[in-house]
Amino acid sequence: MTLFGLDLDYVACVVLFCVGLYMLVAKSNLIKKVLGLNVMETSVFAFIVTSGMIDGGQEPIVVAGSAPPYTSPIPHAMVLTGIVVAVSVTAVALALIAQIHAHYGTIEVDELKELP
Amino acid sequence: MTTLGSTLLPWLVALPLVGAALVPIVARHDARRAGGLTFAVALATTALASILVAQLASQGPFSADLGGWTAPYGIELRFDRFAAWTMPLAALFAFVIPFSWRYLDGTLPRERWAPFYALLLLNLGGLLGFSVTGDLFNLFVTMEVVSLSSYALVAVAGRGVAAWAALKYLLLGAVSSLLVLFAVGLLFALTGSLNLADVSARLAAAEPSGAALLALASLAVAFLVKAAVFPLHVWLPDAHAIAPSPVSAVLSGLVVKVGIVGLLRVLQLAAGTGIALEPLNAVLMVLGATAIVMGAFLAIFQDDIKLMLAYSTISNIGYIVLGIGLASPFALIGAFVHVFNHALIKVTLFLAAGAIIHQTGYRTLSDLHGVARRMPQTAAAMAIGAVSIVGLPPTAGFVCKWYIALGAFEADQGGYGFALVFGALFIFVYYVRMLDAFFFRAPVRPEVAAAVEAPWSMRAPVLVLAAACLVLGVLGGIPIGFVEPAVVDLLAALGR
Repeated sequence: MTLFGLDLDYVACVVLFCVGLYMLVAKSNLIKKVLGLNVMETSVFAFIVTSGMIDGGQEPIVVAGSAPPYTSPIPHAMVLTGIVVAVSVTAVALALIAQIHAHYGTIEVDELKELP
Repeated sequence: MTTLGSTLLPWLVALPLVGAALVPIVARHDARRAGGLTFAVALATTALASILVAQLASQGPFSADLGGWTAPYGIELRFDRFAAWTMPLAALFAFVIPFSWRYLDGTLPRERWAPFYALLLLNLGGLLGFSVTGDLFNLFVTMEVVSLSSYALVAVAGRGVAAWAALKYLLLGAVSSLLVLFAVGLLFALTGSLNLADVSARLAAAEPSGAALLALASLAVAFLVKAAVFPLHVWLPDAHAIAPSPVSAVLSGLVVKVGIVGLLRVLQLAAGTGIALEPLNAVLMVLGATAIVMGAFLAIFQDDIKLMLAYSTISNIGYIVLGIGLASPFALIGAFVHVFNHALIKVTLFLAAGAIIHQTGYRTLSDLHGVARRMPQTAAAMAIGAVSIVGLPPTAGFVCKWYIALGAFEADQGGYGFALVFGALFIFVYYVRMLDAFFFRAPVRPEVAAAVEAPWSMRAPVLVLAAACLVLGVLGGIPIGFVEPAVVDLLAALGR
C-alpha cells in the first residue's frame, strides 16, 4: 500500500520516529523523555523488520512443501539484539531518574535547571 | 587460514569482557581484590594487543571469523592498521587502573568498587571490539557496550548531580546510537550484507542511491554526536567534569574516539561507492574549525580545572575532525595520530588533576593557587601535559597539530590552517592561566599549603604518562610511519 508514492509502512515508521523525537525534545518530564526515546526505538525496529518482509513471503524454515519466496530472518535477529540494548538503556535511564528524584525531589527538567 | 594473529584476535575482546564478569565474584568478600584483578586483566589485554600489532607488522592485516562462519556470512573481526593504532589505548587503561586504587579511597564507598572496575573492563572490551570489528551490526553492539558502561561510570559517584549529568549524556547518546541502528538496517536492506567490506563492495556495484546517502549521513551524524563535535557537544562538559577523575580520563581520552574511529569506518565504507564525499568533508572542516575555536574559547572562562579539560577535549576533537575533513595525506595522518596522542595527553592531564583534587580537596583554579610548591612532581606532569596539548615542540601534541596544519595548506585551505593556529593560541591562554595559578601564586587555602604529594600508586602513572608525552614528541616519526600506509590506502580508495 502506498501513500504519495511511498510505502505506507515506511511512512508510518517516519511518523512514529518524529512523534518520539518530539516527546524527547519538548517534554520536560524525564520519564516522558525516556518514553519518547522508546517510541523512537520502536519505530526503528519496525522499520528494520519491515525491510525484511516481501509480499507473499513465507517464514524462512525449510520443510517439505515450502517454497520461496522467504522473508529474511536476519532483520529479526538484529531487532532482537536491538531490543535487548534498548531495554538496557531504558533500565539505566530509569535508575538514573530514580536517583535524581531521590536527590532533588523532582524529575521536571525546568525545575532541575533552576537548582544550584 | 589460521594464523597466530587470527587465533588470538577474538581473545582481545573476550578477555576484558570475561574479566568484567569475574571482578564482582572475586571481590565478593574483599573489595580491594577488584583493583588487582582488573589491573592484571588490563595488562594481559595490553600484552595480547602488542602481540597482535607485532603480527600485523610482520604479515599485514588479518581477520578472524567468529564461530567458524566465514565472512561475509559470519561476524568478522578485522585487524588493520587503523585498528592497530587504537591498540595503545588499551595500554592507557593499564595506567588508569593503578591510579584508581588509592583514588577510590574516600571517593567511592567500598561496595561500589567492584562495579566500578567491572564497568571499566566492560568499557575496555567494548572499545577494543569497536576498533577491530569488521561487521556493521557488531559495530552497533560494541558501541552500545561502550556507551552504556560510560553512562553508568559517570553516575558511579552516586550523587544527584552525577545522575543528572549521566542522564543528559544518555539521552543524546541513545539518539545517536539509534541513528546508527537505523543506518545499519537501511544498509542491510539495500545490500543484503552486514560485513563492512562486503557492504562497501555491493554499494559500489549498485547505482548510487538516495537511501545509501541517507544511511551514510545518519552514520556520520551519529558518530559526530559520539565524538562531541561542536555544536553536538552539549552532553560532554558536565559528564566529563563530574565523573571521578579516572573515569574522566577514560571518557575524555578514549570514549570520544569511538566517534572518530566510526567516522573513519564511514569513510572506508563510502570509498569507491561513487558517493561524493565533498559535502561531508566541507561540513567536517567547518565543524572542526568551529570546535577548535569555540572549545578553546569556552575553556578560558572555566574556573573548575576538570571542566576546563573537558572543553579542551572539544577543541582537540575539532583538530581531528578538521584533519579528516581536509582529506589530504598530511592532514589525515595528523588526525589519526592525534587520536592516540590526544588520548595520552588528556589521560595525563586528567589523572594529574585528579591527584591534585584528591590531595587538596579543591578543584577550582582560584582555590588551587600555589599547589606546585607542595606537589611539584604532579604539577610538573600537568605542565608537560599542558605544553603538549597546546602543541609546542618537542611534545606529542606538536607532531599531529603540525601535520594537520601542513595538511590544511597542502589541501589549499590555508584559512583553516590559520584557524588552527588561532585555536592553539586560545588553548595556550588558558593553560598559561592554569600554570600561573599552580606555580607562581601564593597558596590561599590552608589545605593546599599543607598538601602532600600523592601516593606512589597515583604519582607513578602520571609521571610515566608525562614522560611518554615527551618521548612521543621526540620520536614522532614512529606513529606517523605506522599510520601512513593505511592513510595512503584509504586515500587511494577515495580516489585522491
